[in-house]
Amino acid sequence: MNGDGWLLTKDERQEWLDALLRDGKRLIAPVDDEGLTLFRAVSTAAEASLEDYGNARWSPKEHQFPNTEALFSYSFQGDDVLLEDTPPDDQEQVLFGVRPCDAAGLTRLDDIFLGDQTDPFYARRKEATTTISMACDKSRPECFCTAVGGSPGGTEGSDIQLVPLPGEEVSLLRTMTPKGDELVAGHSDSWKPAGPEDLAKSEDLRVAVEQQIEHAPLAPEWSAALEGTFDHPLWEAVGERCLGCGICAYVCPSCSCFDVTDQGNAYCGTRCRSWDSCTFAQFTLHASGHNPRPDQPARYRQRVMHKFAYFPLEHDDRSMCVGCGRCVALCPVGIDIHQSVRTAVSAGASGEGSS
Amino acid sequence: MNDSTANPFMPHLMRIAESRDETLDVRTLRLEFIDPEAASEMEWQAGQFGQFSIFGTGECVFTITNPPNRGDHIECTFRDVGKATNALRSRSVGQTVGFRGPYGNWFDMEGWQGKDILFVGGGIGMAALHAPLQFVLDHRDDYGEILVLNGARTVADIVYGDEMNEWQEMDRVKVVQTVDPGGETSEWTREVGLIPNVFEQLDPKPNGNIVVTCGPPIMIHFMMITLDKLGFPPEQVITTLENKMKCGIGHCGRCNVGRLLVCRDGPVVTAAQLKDLPAEL
Repeated sequence: MNGDGWLLTKDERQEWLDALLRDGKRLIAPVDDEGLTLFRAVSTAAEASLEDYGNARWSPKEHQFPNTEALFSYSFQGDDVLLEDTPPDDQEQVLFGVRPCDAAGLTRLDDIFLGDQTDPFYARRKEATTTISMACDKSRPECFCTAVGGSPGGTEGSDIQLVPLPGEEVSLLRTMTPKGDELVAGHSDSWKPAGPEDLAKSEDLRVAVEQQIEHAPLAPEWSAALEGTFDHPLWEAVGERCLGCGICAYVCPSCSCFDVTDQGNAYCGTRCRSWDSCTFAQFTLHASGHNPRPDQPARYRQRVMHKFAYFPLEHDDRSMCVGCGRCVALCPVGIDIHQSVRTAVSAGASGEGSS
Repeated sequence: MNDSTANPFMPHLMRIAESRDETLDVRTLRLEFIDPEAASEMEWQAGQFGQFSIFGTGECVFTITNPPNRGDHIECTFRDVGKATNALRSRSVGQTVGFRGPYGNWFDMEGWQGKDILFVGGGIGMAALHAPLQFVLDHRDDYGEILVLNGARTVADIVYGDEMNEWQEMDRVKVVQTVDPGGETSEWTREVGLIPNVFEQLDPKPNGNIVVTCGPPIMIHFMMITLDKLGFPPEQVITTLENKMKCGIGHCGRCNVGRLLVCRDGPVVTAAQLKDLPAEL
């Protein structure tokens, strides 16, 4: 947490990241994977695709909370069963080039997995991960981080942040946490110290990009009002278009719901957890056939309520949506969760049909 | 309880020690811990539940049906209704299954002392009443009059039938059994009718007494209306919730009813709490 940080050229940045790779760390960065930008482990920093990448198609969530992970393995020996813990994945890793919205999104997973009950799988990986965010130099049409308390230059969840200074060949690097300090230790001696004017430039960039985002704010105090619209008939109209495809949950940096299944054969197997989605019809289906959320509007309502009412009301008004906009951009039927919240809250306020 | 390095998904291995068919599709199992240390460390309260593993198929959630005073083992009663319960029913005495828990909150057995307690259970819902009822019967002097009202669809669907005959013989215990109209046989001499109606005919008095009721959603719906009508304050009426669950520790995100997580804030709730929940049961 040095005063003003450092100014790094692209070459210096790559040398540093390559040195981290040589130290045995896993480096995860946005790469071009057949036309899609995805967060993948790279073998050299040069593989990172940082030119105009906007944001990756998928959030970096899978590197903190894998889309499928083994919880333990089992095998049968006659009537006996043997259980074995799966070896932990605790290799030190660096998440590089994470956008501020995604870095903030990962902190919501902390709230779920490191709350009253610790999930040791998540905790180990979190401990082994250092996050380097890259401030945004422009917004995309679907971005709405500022509407949910974030910013294109936000540092929540970042151990280090890089800001590409406009018109210059250097980025401003600042550390936010002891983990961040540790990652630059031994490397920063040769870097050019930044000055207050560089910080001012990065602030100007942040303000400029914030101004590009036109989505109206979703006020934190709306959570209670939103919760009060549970019985409002508007949900029928808002949710009936939902196909239940689940893409919104899969691309979301903060969605944390999971399924637990056994994968194996007659002799042995693995108990796994995998990402799940509250918009799937079987998500809450009881074995008896009863389903407390019997239709798509009820399932979509749960999605909106969890992110914008239930979670914030229990977590200091922090929304479980960070405004990355992926679900809005990728929904096959054009559902816009930002708009859904506004529609619900304003319908609730008008009092029509609410109970 | 919250050892941050222990794998919360790792079950204890359990040997099926006894298996008893309650009905054609309802079975009660007695499971014994294979690891004696796990048995001695196991502590729970009446009303808590567990995740039961059938390795190769998955897990299912059942209430623990034996009260903590009865045991270094775990009992459960389940209906063969889905993939995991079907696999569990295919397991025999001597075979190995898994158990992790206990999870959730529990019945206020201490707070009920000195009161009359009315247990009203429909179908497999009787399983949720079994632990607190057994606890009360095992500490008979601490509690007042006991009523057990049991309803089943048909005579063939009665769960804990033999035990009910035993309870009936106990001091200050009244057992009333009913089957749905059309579910009786020619030998059936007990009640015929729906639980809420039979309950009303018994003319129970609120008087600070406790009603513990569990059964299918439709039965609970009409029981709540009847209890309201009879003047039972919602704080004195206790029920248990169930929902699909994957973790049991508040993480997997599917057992919530509004902000209430059944695994964390339930399964035991009062009718007063129930009234404040969104209609998503």
